[in-house]
Amino acid sequence: MSYPTIRIPFGPQHPFHIEPEYFMFEVDGERVVSVKPRIGYVHRGIEKAIEDRTFIQNLYLIERICGICSHAHTTCYTQAIEEILGVEIPPRARFIRTIIAELERIHNHYLWLGLAAHEIGFETLFMYTWRDREIVMDLLELLSGNRVHYAMNTLGGVRRDITPEIVEKIRKGLDALEERMRYYKKIAMTEPTISKRANGIGILKPKDALALCAVGPTLRASGIKRDVRADDPYIAYSEIPFNVITYDRCDVISRLFVRCDEVFESVNIIRYAMEHLPEGKIRIKVPRRVPEGEAVSRVEAPRGELIHYAKTNGTTKPERYKVRSPTLGNIPSLCKMLVGGYIADIPIVIAGIDPCFSCTDRMAFVNVNNNKQWILSGEELRRYAIKWYRKE
Amino acid sequence: MGLFKWARTRSPWIIHFNTGGCNGCDIEVMAALTPRFDVERFGIIIRGSPRHADMLVVTGPVTRQVRDRLVRIYEQMPEPKFVIAVGTCAISGAPFMGCYNVHGGIDAVIPVDAYVPGCPPKPEAIIDGIVKLIPKLRAG
Amino acid sequence: MTKGIAKENQIVDKVKEVIGKSVLEIEIPRPRRIFILIDKKAFGKATHYLTKKMRFSHVSTITGVDVGKEIEVIYHLNRGGTIELSLKVRVAKDKPVLPTIIDLIPGATLYEREVHDLLGVTFEGHPDLSPIILPEGWPPDVYPLRKEWTLKKVQKRIMKGGKQ
Repeated sequence: MSYPTIRIPFGPQHPFHIEPEYFMFEVDGERVVSVKPRIGYVHRGIEKAIEDRTFIQNLYLIERICGICSHAHTTCYTQAIEEILGVEIPPRARFIRTIIAELERIHNHYLWLGLAAHEIGFETLFMYTWRDREIVMDLLELLSGNRVHYAMNTLGGVRRDITPEIVEKIRKGLDALEERMRYYKKIAMTEPTISKRANGIGILKPKDALALCAVGPTLRASGIKRDVRADDPYIAYSEIPFNVITYDRCDVISRLFVRCDEVFESVNIIRYAMEHLPEGKIRIKVPRRVPEGEAVSRVEAPRGELIHYAKTNGTTKPERYKVRSPTLGNIPSLCKMLVGGYIADIPIVIAGIDPCFSCTDRMAFVNVNNNKQWILSGEELRRYAIKWYRKE
Repeated sequence: MGLFKWARTRSPWIIHFNTGGCNGCDIEVMAALTPRFDVERFGIIIRGSPRHADMLVVTGPVTRQVRDRLVRIYEQMPEPKFVIAVGTCAISGAPFMGCYNVHGGIDAVIPVDAYVPGCPPKPEAIIDGIVKLIPKLRAG
Repeated sequence: MTKGIAKENQIVDKVKEVIGKSVLEIEIPRPRRIFILIDKKAFGKATHYLTKKMRFSHVSTITGVDVGKEIEVIYHLNRGGTIELSLKVRVAKDKPVLPTIIDLIPGATLYEREVHDLLGVTFEGHPDLSPIILPEGWPPDVYPLRKEWTLKKVQKRIMKGGKQ
């Protein structure tokens, strides 16, 4: 017995839905009944490749696991190997790593704000936030020589130093970034477009967030005060005062406010770090061969807890290297948030966890009542959602 | 110059596709749309459908699972069509060369007309690559 | 290094009380990091005790490692965001089976599926071990993180066409 299937030829690529992905939704009318994720689309075989490269070569590969959290990945990596080597990097290097990490966080949150705005059709906000994001990209380029993939970390410390002139430029940039984010936060609090699409949407209760092992702003927007920088301090975080931001409405708007406030915290962390930047070397020499050992390294990437596990065998290459990105940690929670919600909420709820794969380009739907099946591109679903909410 | 040629070279329409990269190039392609670089002032518009596109901007090292879709998108584009490989991954596979799932470079799969190196290339370089292909569009 | 690891030592002592001789190896390399290798037969007891009684209720991830004739499965458990306890257990490579822990921590679901994909470990009781990390069409007998599946061997098996 065959059921009629309606296939909308899935859209080709839209620039805003950059990474190919796959979700399968079962729906009943406008409601999502179940979600099945399949993330094999982006599999590159990195963990296997890491075993085939030296520790220095792996710096360049691991940096490119993700173009937006690249410093978080190399910080996590260098920390793991430095721990096995039993070396302590110089204090100045720890502070510089922290400054870059927080600039990366500011960059990520601005980028996210723009993409989330685009998701709900708020094009002006997207353009504004991405224009302001250029401020932090300029600072990162000034510090590292590149706008993306800063390659600042190396085994034993960092590769480039910060001069007083750069410190001055960063100060000015931070003032602007802080002021702009105050403005955007105000918009988020008062714009009816945003509140209609994000208030009370994508609920994740604290109990579920914990049971499903959510991480990062997604977890903190359900009121759980967890942040690797505070709980399991690394680089310079144990020496710099800052607040862990939580909101307790458990919805998309909470996730937005957590990120806004985290930008303010990042600005303060960088200011403090620059004020208290220790003198001295920025790196120490480490041997090419790493003794047998293992380490677990954790970092609060912009999207949440990032964890690497390293196992070494006395050679110049790792025995085993495991990477778990924060997005994978949030997928079970994402599925929970989507079930029971409207189809029109799918784009913003997915965007709400700030996924490292972008809102998918391929989403399959099955109606549980009549088994009709169809596929929508991310762009088609986005437009459907905007239209649906205009009617509401 | 015919009407279609005039229209095409006045404003090349682009379609963008990521074949499994880290997103670094994609955010620079997107940045090209934003006010600071504003690629639309050159008449360049990013389109949703390959059937309306003159140029295919590709990033990423071409994973095995994405290869067929890349070919399909290329085949759906009407002639004359041009392909720009953006970023070192798209040119050679870069750090992912040797990964078991990666073809390594767009031109292993479809013909490429312009290569924009960088990891990632800056938005100015990407726009430059697109703009350099315009004479080819005119000649084509 | 013994400074500041009193809490970690306490935790290890408690685990020893509960599963006794099944604790095979202990490593406390620094504060907030514990590595415990246990015998498979104490797996259920140890995981239940750690997750329900000692509040190691967050699983950061699960790692599988090919150690030759066996596969070592490491559960990276966390308490309150701070202490990361890596619980290691080894299973025979020709029959790699462990009970699932999703009844204790639902959030472990995708991590178990990942270890299943890449190393072929079966987690008994898991309702859906379909591929999560590996792409569609991946040959089911290819476990890429097993040492016998070298990079070249995997490549040869799965790639068709293209430069490589």
